[in-house]
Amino acid sequence: MFKLLDKTGIKESLFALSLGAVLALTTNFAYAEKFGFGDTATQDQIAGWDIDIRPDGKGLPEGRGTIEAGEGLYEERCATCHGLFGEGEGRWPVLAGGEGTLQEERPTKTVGSYWPYASTLYDYIRRAMPFTAPRSLSDQQVYDITAYLLYLNEIVEEDFVLTKDSLATIEMPNKDNFFVDPRPDVKNVRCMQNCADPTKLKIVGTLRGITPVGHFVEGADAPASSHDAQMEQEQNKEKVRKATLKGESAEVATHSKAVALTEMAMAGKDIYDGACKVCHGSGLTGSPKFGDAEAWSSRIPKGMPQLVQHAIKGFTGDTGVMPPKGGRVDLSDKQVENAVAYMVESSQ
Amino acid sequence: MSKIIKGPSTRELMAQMARESEHLSTNDRRDFLRKGIATVGGMAATVVAGGAIGDEINVNNLPPNEPSWGKQLGHGVVEYPYGGPSKYEKHVVRRTVPWLTADSIASISMTPLQDLKGIITPNGLVFERYHGGVPQINPDEHRLIIHGLVERPIIFTMEDLMRFPSVSEIKFIECPANGGMEWKGAQMEALQFTHGMLSCCEWTGVPLKVLLDEVGVKPEGKWILAEGADGSHMSRSIPLEKALEDTLVVYAQNGEMLRPEQGYPLRLLNPGWEGNTSIKWLRRLEIGDSPWYHREETSKYTDLMPDGRARKFTFVQESNSVITSPCPEKPMIKPGFVEIEGIAWSGRGKVKQVDISFDGGVSWVPAKLKGLVLDKALTRFSLVTKWDGQPWLLQSRSVDETGYVQPTLSQLRKVRGGNSIYHKNSIHTWKIAPTGEVTNVQIT
Repeated sequence: MFKLLDKTGIKESLFALSLGAVLALTTNFAYAEKFGFGDTATQDQIAGWDIDIRPDGKGLPEGRGTIEAGEGLYEERCATCHGLFGEGEGRWPVLAGGEGTLQEERPTKTVGSYWPYASTLYDYIRRAMPFTAPRSLSDQQVYDITAYLLYLNEIVEEDFVLTKDSLATIEMPNKDNFFVDPRPDVKNVRCMQNCADPTKLKIVGTLRGITPVGHFVEGADAPASSHDAQMEQEQNKEKVRKATLKGESAEVATHSKAVALTEMAMAGKDIYDGACKVCHGSGLTGSPKFGDAEAWSSRIPKGMPQLVQHAIKGFTGDTGVMPPKGGRVDLSDKQVENAVAYMVESSQ
Repeated sequence: MSKIIKGPSTRELMAQMARESEHLSTNDRRDFLRKGIATVGGMAATVVAGGAIGDEINVNNLPPNEPSWGKQLGHGVVEYPYGGPSKYEKHVVRRTVPWLTADSIASISMTPLQDLKGIITPNGLVFERYHGGVPQINPDEHRLIIHGLVERPIIFTMEDLMRFPSVSEIKFIECPANGGMEWKGAQMEALQFTHGMLSCCEWTGVPLKVLLDEVGVKPEGKWILAEGADGSHMSRSIPLEKALEDTLVVYAQNGEMLRPEQGYPLRLLNPGWEGNTSIKWLRRLEIGDSPWYHREETSKYTDLMPDGRARKFTFVQESNSVITSPCPEKPMIKPGFVEIEGIAWSGRGKVKQVDISFDGGVSWVPAKLKGLVLDKALTRFSLVTKWDGQPWLLQSRSVDETGYVQPTLSQLRKVRGGNSIYHKNSIHTWKIAPTGEVTNVQIT
């Protein structure tokens, strides 16, 4: 009993006594030193969640990934954000290229130029990708996409087949360039007087126009309440600054208007936030931007049935490609329709 | 619908007036500034409280008049069953730097350190960092599985976990990218953006060691993989020694259950270590004999050095400090007595000492630590002095109980270059102009 108390740091004797009484009733003395809370996890329960992969291949499921199969999947599920060749759209991660840039002023850290282990690619795609639909790919699809990304990075040849065994044997180019944290790596001293030559202090200020200043905007109704609202405030601020330089006043857009949404559109908001916003929130890859009446003015006249049809089946337009259901094939047609309604009603 | 936003802000006008008054004597300048605020730009008199814009002042509420709130009744109980701050505090919010990330779902926001007192961060203001957005988890459907190299794998419900004897500890949590925007130069004209990826709460939960004793770690178990239940299934490898030392499995913060943004209903807390190791929405802990080298400990959260090699497992948040008053958001109000205040912290233990320099690091004077001085917690420091309107290059420098002295930026850059992104804990400089305006500068 005292061993238990030492272990758990319980000092209150009253509680200790009552706990002791409970333990005394426990028939299984193997648990006498344990609390016994929780159930033994079954192999089934563990298997469903045990998704991790290690560099030695531990955790890899059966499968056979080919570059051919991976190419189609990558273009359908990944290229919208990461670009057709892994070059990255907007500020989404660049996946390929960047070899030999790690010592440059602006290094490009990619799978090929930086990642030490190929296993990480399989693990990460399986646990978190595609961004808007994590855990939606089959183990086989993850093998195919992983193979294709290794190919895009010129780590494997076109005929390479990725399996449980071959993945663990892949040597990544930057593998040997990681070392364990050596900090503390600098040693300052607690000097109190004459610690620096005051004539040699070089004072460098900030660059203008980088700090978000939305919250200082005079007349702003409320502080930026969201990423988007703050981004809008920044853009407005910049418009005003430029106009002021020219001695003009600026008309700025605001989404603070109260839009009366239909029930259908309201139901579509969560779908939009979780699935569509990634592209439509910023107008990525030529998509009409949420709230941008101009961008939607050529689309809305086509009518809801056609817009919904395009969203469900996919559509290639003048400015870009809409993949079927934006890559979220798990969504029902009704959910997509609701999301389209939400976007249309908010963008008129 | 559109609206017109006026050009210069009150704060900018203040700064402009301050510049114009630089040649005046202290008393004249004070008068100029005070009168100027009421007239410049054709604006009505406004209250300027440290950069925040308040409502217009109604003189009928000032002495000798009885203010309006003294002549009527306020609202009754449970009008707001879960209360919020005064409507006059609506500027005290988390903010983000939109250009930092591609999207708000995998992004970060900062705590308004400039508006906080003491060492505890209110729950609604704790900085946010998500890799796949905030999941809404029903606690009755949440499970924690501990398995791998153990005698008996266990699945816990929240109820199970809350039956264990609990501990409550005040610890800071900081993103290793805090200050990371400033490696190559001063960029952010606001304390919230230079240091706001930092919060400090009282966390309640179970020591991980207790749970590990429960499953019985096999002798070959050396590392733990912690994994979240959210869409990113965020994962990090944690050495077993840390878990045995002070890692907590946490379900409450500052007296209430965790906020969804902070991992409701369950998160890990690795005190003093980079925030991303404190996995939120914790659902699984696997014991293994070697690290997993997942994305967040290879592609990200490794520190690139000038020679092209990179440091891995850079866990500790080394000692750091910053002056929170004055700061760009809280300029000096007027000459006279002033309390220089700030916060210091160390991932290796307690803060032992903080010194303050007024001349850019040439000479230093000790500040006083005030309030609680706790292990791996924010610690508030203070120095009361007089400002005569002279320019200052104001700095703070922390020393922790291991004797580590917060380094200069030049010292850090000399070893690490400008591309390591993380763990920039160098001495920070605020330039105080004779007008009282505070700007962010770097001294090299």
